[in-house]
Amino acid sequence: MSLVTRNVLLALLITVAIIWTIAYAIHYLNNARITELSAIEDQLSIDTLSLDTQFSLLEAAPCDIAASSTTLISTLADLGTRLSYAENQLGTNNAQVLRLKQQYSLLEIRDYLITKQLAAACGTKPVTVLYFYSNAGDCADCDKAGYALSYLHDTYPMLRVYSFDYNLDLGALKTFITIHKVDATLPAFVINDKKSYGFTSLVDLEKQFPKGALAGATSTKP
Amino acid sequence: MFAYPFLFIAIFFESFVLITLLSKPARAARARMPDAMTPSVAVIVPCWNEAATVGATCDSLLALEYPKEKLEIILVDDGSTDATQQSMARFANHPQVRIITKGNGGKYTALNAGIAATRAELIGCLDADSFVEPDALREILPCFNNPEIVAATSAMSIHKPKSILQHMQNAEYTFGITLRHAFASVNGLYVIPGPFSFYRREIVEKLGGFRYGHQTEDMEMALRIQHAGYGIENSPRARVYTGAPATLAKLVKQRTRWITGFLRNILGEYRGLLFSRRHGVLGMLVLPIAIITIGGSILLFLIVLSRLVRNILVAFEIRIGIPLSYTLVPHGSFDWFYLPVNSYLLLGASALLASFSLIVVGKRISKTSGSLTLELFSYSLLYGLVAPLWLIRATGDVVSGKCRNWRY
Repeated sequence: MSLVTRNVLLALLITVAIIWTIAYAIHYLNNARITELSAIEDQLSIDTLSLDTQFSLLEAAPCDIAASSTTLISTLADLGTRLSYAENQLGTNNAQVLRLKQQYSLLEIRDYLITKQLAAACGTKPVTVLYFYSNAGDCADCDKAGYALSYLHDTYPMLRVYSFDYNLDLGALKTFITIHKVDATLPAFVINDKKSYGFTSLVDLEKQFPKGALAGATSTKP
Repeated sequence: MFAYPFLFIAIFFESFVLITLLSKPARAARARMPDAMTPSVAVIVPCWNEAATVGATCDSLLALEYPKEKLEIILVDDGSTDATQQSMARFANHPQVRIITKGNGGKYTALNAGIAATRAELIGCLDADSFVEPDALREILPCFNNPEIVAATSAMSIHKPKSILQHMQNAEYTFGITLRHAFASVNGLYVIPGPFSFYRREIVEKLGGFRYGHQTEDMEMALRIQHAGYGIENSPRARVYTGAPATLAKLVKQRTRWITGFLRNILGEYRGLLFSRRHGVLGMLVLPIAIITIGGSILLFLIVLSRLVRNILVAFEIRIGIPLSYTLVPHGSFDWFYLPVNSYLLLGASALLASFSLIVVGKRISKTSGSLTLELFSYSLLYGLVAPLWLIRATGDVVSGKCRNWRY
């Protein structure tokens, strides 16, 4: 074997070794992400049970547990961000991502229902936004709408935003959509039970909110 | 997806260079020490409007540690229109210096005029904006101990780099020291740069002297030497410092000439070298990879640029109407979960890291002094952005048949 042939083979070996190492590192990182998602899955199960318990407690002392319910919304936002990132990294068809999205959506629905129940029992007026999107490539304005809602949520932390993948295969979500009579014209919003479709601008979206609702949702603006 | 084959080739190429550096021929070349051999040597300095630098260039040649009776310096004024002649006049009575004045005909004609004026065994070339270390000639001469070697190159650096662009070029030149050293050990060189390269005079004459070579007479001569079956060596410790374009426009112009010269020579008269088993590593590896690198760099640049523009437009569109106080502030937490690691990033980082290693190796084997911090910083920051400019321009010129004036 000539020197050059030997060097070419060795260089190929090194190249393959580097590429294998990179592939392994990415696989390892994605596995770590999946492990993290499993932890989120456990968290979601606990939160779901917690909400069930809250429903029961609500019957006995409705207004005393309002605070605990509001802490869940920030956990929900964090879980939503992680799920969205995992969806981008692992793909929209990843089985675990889909299962987590289903669990996450269920938890959102439950939190929405308990919020409504608390409002009715305690006379509070929370501002809730149901946001329906699609990432199947059929919603050109969903990214803009999502970013605008992130801005509103970060600016008004008491605003309760619930995001749902309109196409997610989940019975409870289908029923939820049917009950609220939300059409497949996305993005779709249900703001305090008032429906609107499409997104043009932040200003137009803000106009969909009840008068003074955002001001009462505790602005973080200086 | 298109990027993967090119990233694979980049890593393979750098691995091959590293392995070749560790092989016996390269180690033997590094161990080669100056000896007592003192053949007659003539160094030709072709000049065209080099009044500002030719004096210092000649001074550095006169300072070479070599028997004075064996070393002659031939300054060739190729029809300069500035004060080059007056600058040369300072050496008119120097016993080692000969001055030739001729009408402007291009660098290759100046080199041929110098060759015709000497009977020295070895012919050296030195661009009139370059300066050599006193031991450079002593270092390069042992390359000719092997009778099959007819030409030898030196180790080039940028002379006193000032701008960030010149530091970037200095990193590139230091990388070049490693590449030339590695490829010379397996006879894979396809260019014998103008600054301080040497030839056996009789072979140059036998091959017919220098030619126009699509404005790259040094590359054309190297390809002709390889085509004729001779060998080209390299001396990594023969230090030479050369001037470098200070502005982007001048750099793009210079590199466009180099790349068009390469493509026109390789795809024209010397296309027979491509994939030629007879020419070993040059034909089967170096030249094909050089061409693939040009195409791949352009493609990668266009892919990255289009994605970058698209992402910026999307990000901008998403943020329209949202207060700047929110959009300009990063959101989210620093969490490993969001580490933006993907195969492109890691492959690109591996290739860049390997480039850094080869630059450091170039500095060490050539014993070049100074720090590499600015060089590595500017190289990683700028090279990927500016190199595609001349690659695209040169490829466009070759495809359209456009010829440009080479002076910058």
